[in-house]
Amino acid sequence: MPNSDFTVEDFCKDPNFIHWVLSPTDESNRYWQSFMVEYPHKVADIETAIDYVKTIRFREIDPSQQDLARLKQRIWNDIEKLESETATVRIVPWYQRPYWAAAAVILLVMSIGLGWRAYQANSSLTYQTAYGKIQEIKLTDGSVVTLNANSVLKVADNMADRPVREVWLEGEAYFDIAKRKGAKFIVHTPEAQIEVLGTEFNVNTRRDQTHIVLEEGKVQLSTDNQSMVVMKPGDMATVSPKSRQIQLKRVQPDLYDAWKASYIILDGKSLPEIINSLEDTFGVRIKLEDTQLVDKKLTGKLGTEVAEDCIDNLSIILDVDVKKEGDVYIFR
Amino acid sequence: MTPQLTPAEHIRLWNDFRNGSQDAFSQLYELFSADLYRYGYNLIRNRQLVEDCLHELFLHIHENRTRLGPTDNIRFYLFRALRRRLLDTVGRLNKLDSDEYLFDNAEFLIQPYEQTLVEEQLIEQQKLLVIAQLNKLPKRQKEILYLVFMKGLSYQQAAEVMDITMKSVYNTVNVALTTLRAYVRTSFEQGGALWSLPGSILIYFVKILLG
Repeated sequence: MPNSDFTVEDFCKDPNFIHWVLSPTDESNRYWQSFMVEYPHKVADIETAIDYVKTIRFREIDPSQQDLARLKQRIWNDIEKLESETATVRIVPWYQRPYWAAAAVILLVMSIGLGWRAYQANSSLTYQTAYGKIQEIKLTDGSVVTLNANSVLKVADNMADRPVREVWLEGEAYFDIAKRKGAKFIVHTPEAQIEVLGTEFNVNTRRDQTHIVLEEGKVQLSTDNQSMVVMKPGDMATVSPKSRQIQLKRVQPDLYDAWKASYIILDGKSLPEIINSLEDTFGVRIKLEDTQLVDKKLTGKLGTEVAEDCIDNLSIILDVDVKKEGDVYIFR
Repeated sequence: MTPQLTPAEHIRLWNDFRNGSQDAFSQLYELFSADLYRYGYNLIRNRQLVEDCLHELFLHIHENRTRLGPTDNIRFYLFRALRRRLLDTVGRLNKLDSDEYLFDNAEFLIQPYEQTLVEEQLIEQQKLLVIAQLNKLPKRQKEILYLVFMKGLSYQQAAEVMDITMKSVYNTVNVALTTLRAYVRTSFEQGGALWSLPGSILIYFVKILLG
């Protein structure tokens, strides 16, 4: 407790004194006032001590309101996501849901029928994703394909037993290919063939261009016009739409496959590029009224779980208003 | 500094949050995120890393809210949590010995506060010299001063936030005060009557009471 013997330094070291100087309250004002009334000879020392404490004042860089709003959005989005995940675990048993049961029976009958036909014809299986949906497909050979929104993957039948495993892709997918002795895996896109043994890579065929980004392993690439280009991890290959020429460039692979976890990384991407990918994912149109926005450089992550939220967040980051007209979002 | 809550308010808000109030969680963010951001940014000059760690921190406390202990100083609690998280991240990034002061780019910069009317030009010069001296202290020591003199943490709390002994905290405060004492001695010799100016006490009080 402060007393009449306190020196300037003692005051400075007293946490209560420091608190009072930093952020006085009615209570602490009263306390120190009566202290000074009681010990008038200490007033000068207290003055000096106040000056000492105030001298130790640090420069602070304030985060912008925008930074904090964006961060908050990010946190709340993730919390919602976590909670909806745990919510879906609590499912009412199917037999308590007559409609679902009926639908399930019909679906079962239909899929048996379809499956039988597919088997008979020795044809292929087709997976298709809606806008805003991501599907993980486990192939019979042990490979895993994550299919992005609005994409189609056709898989040759009897994958596991064939000497060459083949799939056809339109849209975007991430491939994690299981190694199989000698059995090649080929991804066909409208523009190119991607041939691998066992590896991980991302393929995007949207907007008449095929982009392949290699995460690890080795990939061989060919088109009608160009034979065999070998890609190394961290390479991005772009196949141009008309000439079918392949161009390689070094990239950071995780910038291109974040969509698997339902977000996109904005760093180093142009705004039009970001808008394209949101349009492809959600099946909406986004228009920029302010053309100066095009040059804006963005950083950070943008969750793509829910279309509305994602577009709202983008508008917060850009600090613009967004208006919805039908399927078109207008930023201004 | 962010708005002051009394210890009782700290306890109530923290308990509401632990009992699952979303409102309380929002309030935590509104009250402390900017302050945490500033501290984090002083420690590592990298907005992205600070934001990532804050993101993880708030998700973590939200997810584990029922398992968290009580506190009557939320700032202290969150500062400690943020510092550990940043240290983890930085440690993973540079894989250095954990005894080292890992926050290489830390910058705790002491700056002059607004001068009062009674102070003379001469004193201001002296003060700038002292501040320059204080700024020469090792970063770790300046972090201690920051937590105690800027964020109002107690010595015990500052020691806990930084995982150091109380002795280091006391030593640092002593070193800082010695530096300051040198300044006041010279200001006494040269400025003389500064502390006895009749109006100065009154002005201080008016300032304090006006907040």
